[in-house]
Amino acid sequence: MLLPLDMLRAGEVAEVEEVSGHDSWVGRLADLGIRRGCRLRVVQPGSPCLLDVGGCKLCLRGGECSQILVRPVG
Amino acid sequence: MLTKTLTVALVGNPNAGKSTLFNALSGLRQRVGNYPGVTVEMKKGRFAAGGTAVELIDLPGTYSLAARSPDEMVAVDLLLGRRPEEPRPDVVLAVVDATNLDRHLYLTSQLLDLGTPVVVALNMIDAAEAQGIKINAAELSARLGVAVVPVQANAGVGITDLTRAVVAAAEGGSAATGPAFPGAFEAEVAALQEELGPDVPGFLTRRLVLDVGGYVEQWLVGRHGEGLRLKLNTARRRLADAGHSVPGVEARARFGWVKAAVGAAVARPAERRVTATDRIDAVLTHRVWGTLVFLAVMFLMFQSIYLWAGPLMDGIEGAVGRVGEAVAGALGPGPLRSLLVDGVVKGVGSVLVFLPQIMILFGFVAVLEGCGYMARAAFLMDRLMSRCGLSGKSFIPMLSSVACAVPGIMATRVIENRRDRFATILVAPLMSCSARLPVYLLLVGAFLTEGYAWWVPGLVLFGLYLIGFVTAPLVALLLKRTLLRGATPVFVMELPAYHRPRVRAVVRRMVEAGGAFVVRAGTIILAAMVLVWALLYFPRTDPTGVPYEERIAAAEAAAEANADRLAELKGKDEATDAEKEERETLEAAAAEPDRLNGEWKRDSLLGRFGRWLEPAVRPLGWDWKVGTAALASFPAREVFVGTAGMLYGAGDVDPGDDEQTAGLGAAVKADWAADPVRGKYGVAVAASVMVFFALCMQCASTLAVIRRETRSWAWPAFTFAYMTALAYLGALVTYQVGAAVTDWGA
Repeated sequence: MLLPLDMLRAGEVAEVEEVSGHDSWVGRLADLGIRRGCRLRVVQPGSPCLLDVGGCKLCLRGGECSQILVRPVG
Repeated sequence: MLTKTLTVALVGNPNAGKSTLFNALSGLRQRVGNYPGVTVEMKKGRFAAGGTAVELIDLPGTYSLAARSPDEMVAVDLLLGRRPEEPRPDVVLAVVDATNLDRHLYLTSQLLDLGTPVVVALNMIDAAEAQGIKINAAELSARLGVAVVPVQANAGVGITDLTRAVVAAAEGGSAATGPAFPGAFEAEVAALQEELGPDVPGFLTRRLVLDVGGYVEQWLVGRHGEGLRLKLNTARRRLADAGHSVPGVEARARFGWVKAAVGAAVARPAERRVTATDRIDAVLTHRVWGTLVFLAVMFLMFQSIYLWAGPLMDGIEGAVGRVGEAVAGALGPGPLRSLLVDGVVKGVGSVLVFLPQIMILFGFVAVLEGCGYMARAAFLMDRLMSRCGLSGKSFIPMLSSVACAVPGIMATRVIENRRDRFATILVAPLMSCSARLPVYLLLVGAFLTEGYAWWVPGLVLFGLYLIGFVTAPLVALLLKRTLLRGATPVFVMELPAYHRPRVRAVVRRMVEAGGAFVVRAGTIILAAMVLVWALLYFPRTDPTGVPYEERIAAAEAAAEANADRLAELKGKDEATDAEKEERETLEAAAAEPDRLNGEWKRDSLLGRFGRWLEPAVRPLGWDWKVGTAALASFPAREVFVGTAGMLYGAGDVDPGDDEQTAGLGAAVKADWAADPVRGKYGVAVAASVMVFFALCMQCASTLAVIRRETRSWAWPAFTFAYMTALAYLGALVTYQVGAAVTDWGA
């Protein structure tokens, strides 16, 4: 089941399936570790939300989260 | 042993501890290098490794070498030796965070493609151990093919090993290469390389293929024409058809390689431990608690500026008074003595008094930045900022502007979107900077301390800073709706782990800020003060041609001669009519020097101009003195205090009287008390002045930096115009409302 990232609740873990949007934005996110196949955990949902990506805390906004499709794990 | 100077570039992700390592390596021997045409600054430092001199260049923190702007390209060009200002680095020192190797080694793998020897500094090794992460540095070094040195930059651990490894890498040359890319990719790169010729390095040809819409593409297509774009797009399509689409092919190749190396060399606990950072963040990024903590931190900051600086200020005031006394004693009356005592010592001295506050403020900002709290504040404020069409990234420059708008405006360089960056630059000067602090402290001290509860001064100060915090986003909103219309920017930001701020770094920031302030006081403020002094000194004679100094000296001598008699009369409980009359005459004589001085200032060039201006500032509750002082402060806000010192404090010609020289606030209060309007509405007038200063663009340095960052005179002119108009309006409303409230209360 694929979900936009902003549908996840606090504490849920998911694997990124697809990042869509402008090239430079996709590239920027990839630099920060959000790319196809990576795992992330939602620390704090909402906008901006707080994510744990590979032990690193990132925050991004709801609008942007909806462009990231994820597959919940576990 | 090498005899030449080695050039070493320091590269790493933001938050990898790069600056800390830079400071640990180069100590105090640092300077800042600027690069023409771009808004990039790089710090440079020197150190010796054994017998080898090393020049260290600190590149801006980056997650990737995929340049998207001319600013990011400077770092890449520098690494390739394509900047005329710097030689090609002999060694690249890659700083990585040991707790977050997977992420940080991505950049390292790109650095390996440069063909320059690379040394990896495995920083924050102590934090990794605390989290149960075990790293076999030797194994990691074997896998990556480069030296890996564990260090703890904040404690100086491993620095000697690191410098030794750097020199060894420079001597050994480069053997290591980054991860292998698919053959199809290499074939496309080779074909394009033919096209471009040998003067484009292979590294940039690879980036050309990988970075869709990146800076290298823009640059090379601009140089070689649209034909190149067509070839490039065809090549990318062929790669996509072969299952190696860009930019995915890079991520797969590099992360596969990183994963293999980390998998072999790093052992992690199965369960990720809940770190101290996680526990602290549970509170500090909480929507309610986090916001409350943020407000509390801000209040604490302003309250401590008020409390801690007091004793230090008294010391400086005493010293200034003594210097004035010594100078006055050494010189005879005349323009030179007046210039030195009233213009230089009193003018600059009354500004220098605020040195402790400014250092405390910068210390606070350095601590907040150093411990990682600033990013949390940006996170909390993103909601507010997104409503104004800006992102949390705009918040850090704005918060830095609380110390000074100049570094704040320079910090906007992290904002990618030009419109957002400009909107942030234009509103950053609205944040109350340290130069406003003297004005606030003078007036709060004079009008809102005595007779008020202990927390009132701190709260008022906090409120004054709040003006900026509220106005700046509103103006930004307006700008984003009009001049700088554009979509709300995307926002993604890393929240670094908390660190104990390093005392040395904090002290350094404080000393630097203090030094810059003293330099300012000695240059721009001094020049403005001398000008103000001259405009207040001339003409130095009364209408009949007698110099005021002579009349004042005579009046003082007369007052002095009768001082004992006056004291005796004052001491009498019951007095005859004759004695009362004598007392009144003597009191008038005692006040005569001050009266003459006031007359002199009123008739001086600046006084005449101020009185001509008075109708314009009367609706703000100001008299010509306040108006003149505010006007004189347009080059630098601190001039207000110095000018007020000359206008109000100048009555105390007797420099031996410490009470008078020390109490500029008291002098202002006494002067206002004698006036029907300002006597009654003193607090409202003080508030009106403070609001004016909170909103007004009175800083030549800020205008110059806006000009530099926007590369146009139109933006500084616009900023100046809108802020001045806003300040006048704000002061007008404040005074009118304040006066109405005072009347209503009475």
